[in-house]
Amino acid sequence: MTEGRIVKPLAVFIVVVVVLLGGIVLLALADPGSSGPPDGQSIDGQSPPQYQPGAVDMASDPEDGKIQIDTDVGEKRILIDTGHDNQLSKPSLEPMTEAVFDSGHTIEYGSLEVSDAEDSLGQYDGILIIQPLTSYSPDERDALQEYTESGGRVAVLAEPSQARVSSGPEQTSTTVSFGADTLTQRYGVRVGAEQLYNIDDDSNDNNFKSIYASPSDGGELTTGVETITLDTAGYAAITADTDAETTFTAAAGTRTLDTRRTGTYPIVVRNDNMVFVADSTFITRSEVYDADNEVFVSNLIEFLLNGDASD
Amino acid sequence: MLGTNKQFSAMTASYVIAITVALVIAVIFAPVVWNGVPSGGDDDPSVAVVDFRGGTTDANVNGIKQDLREIRANDSIDAVVLRIDSSGGPVDSSEELYLAVNRTTEEMPVVAYVEGTAASGGYYGIAPADEIVVKPSSNVGSIGVIVQAPLRLIEQAGQQSEAFVRSGPDKAQISKDGLREDIEVLQRSFVGTVMQHRSDELSVTRAEVANGDTYLGTQAVQNGFADRIGDSELAIERAAALADSIEGDQYDVVYLGGGAAAFNAIIVPAGATTVQGENNVTYLVHPEDETTFREPVKYYAVWGVPTEDNNATVIRND
Repeated sequence: MTEGRIVKPLAVFIVVVVVLLGGIVLLALADPGSSGPPDGQSIDGQSPPQYQPGAVDMASDPEDGKIQIDTDVGEKRILIDTGHDNQLSKPSLEPMTEAVFDSGHTIEYGSLEVSDAEDSLGQYDGILIIQPLTSYSPDERDALQEYTESGGRVAVLAEPSQARVSSGPEQTSTTVSFGADTLTQRYGVRVGAEQLYNIDDDSNDNNFKSIYASPSDGGELTTGVETITLDTAGYAAITADTDAETTFTAAAGTRTLDTRRTGTYPIVVRNDNMVFVADSTFITRSEVYDADNEVFVSNLIEFLLNGDASD
Repeated sequence: MLGTNKQFSAMTASYVIAITVALVIAVIFAPVVWNGVPSGGDDDPSVAVVDFRGGTTDANVNGIKQDLREIRANDSIDAVVLRIDSSGGPVDSSEELYLAVNRTTEEMPVVAYVEGTAASGGYYGIAPADEIVVKPSSNVGSIGVIVQAPLRLIEQAGQQSEAFVRSGPDKAQISKDGLREDIEVLQRSFVGTVMQHRSDELSVTRAEVANGDTYLGTQAVQNGFADRIGDSELAIERAAALADSIEGDQYDVVYLGGGAAAFNAIIVPAGATTVQGENNVTYLVHPEDETTFREPVKYYAVWGVPTEDNNATVIRND
């Protein structure tokens, strides 16, 4: 009897377990589940053509070349205006300053002195005005106009109105606008209403906002330049009936950022002794060696040095 | 008499124990048996409906990759409907999603049903689908990449470079040009993917795709970002119709849970740790009282705005 007390329940247990495990084995045989041949070994498209280096890697513009200033005009001085809340940093302009120094000339920073304007401006051969946010007074405008009429050279680098986010915990956005339109209007040009962009990979420098521009005439500013690249370019609006001439034009397919209008956008405009560039980044340390920017900067400096302001 | 009763009780107890143990074993193996039985329980082929809801984060994408792998291994499943509501996430995991869906489309028809949004990384994932079904309120597109790189990091590159002794000039450096080049590479592979799979349907140019606009369902059907207006049942019908081995309505529908967790916050500060609460997830950014390192930049294929100011130390998404 004792044997039956153990054997019978054991038999029941074994039968139940065998039936269950047997059923599982049968099911496992019927359905191999997730085991099987390697998943997708022979499937096309797992190294897709659009992912290959040839399809995505792009040649970035080499940052080479040299700012080469060739003038035999004796020692000359250029003033960079800092008196109108100009958006510039001296360290970022050092490559240009160094090149000017190497060629035996001088760059000075300071605000325009208008009290005795003719004398004070006359000591400089060229004046570089970079993105001023405050406007020029009527006296200053008169002085600059007299200055250029008497042979002095002025280059104005302007940027289109754009939002600037302040750093810090409260990130407020303010609109920053070029402040010297009343000055440049005397030369028939002002900064256009919108920033430009170009989505075509062949017409930008690795970003839609970093557009290309190329010479539209053969003047001294364009010598040796095929393409310049501009990081925050606007365009120059030129008034009718003026002597202002376009020297660089944005690449084909360039559009305005807000309204997406295509067109022929003047980037660099010259009116006799005044040059207007609708961008102020091309001259800075990080951009100056991109594309042919260094050649254009050289040309621009030579343009300023070739000024002949009477003392 | 008493001895017989005792014996009977002992026997009963033995049987109870034996059957209990057998049942315990049965319970242990029940899920295996259950999972082993082909879904639907008959011989009809099946259309699997798999959900992807939430950001294309590592965790979510790994979940759906597992689902799709099981679907491909399951001989009874002949078509897939990918029911998606995702506004994207990091580029790396969005590419994983694309590759997993692309692999599945090589084996069986995949129809995407855009429940809410399939934008940016979400659209990346469904680009290879054989058909894309949308509602008027579905939101698709936003082809493009952003990078979350605090400007101060770029501006302070010079300072950063003096903080360590470095092995080379590019080590631990971030530059604006470098970021732009990287973004351009990721953008090209993203736009290239959309053009590779949808160029026959798209009425917009590659450049317009690269603009990164989003489109509502009706616009998407017109410009080729999607194929038809409908609901998830229509998507299932279309998937069945595209499968050669399914005839008429002779098919079953299997709903898979979907590995995507319902994370609302996609953009999480790099280096943050997560704390799972009962109804929320809290991301903690540790104070920098010791030298900790985090990814300096992260590339996102995302349609959205940061949920919170990243300067905050604690970000909650409850």
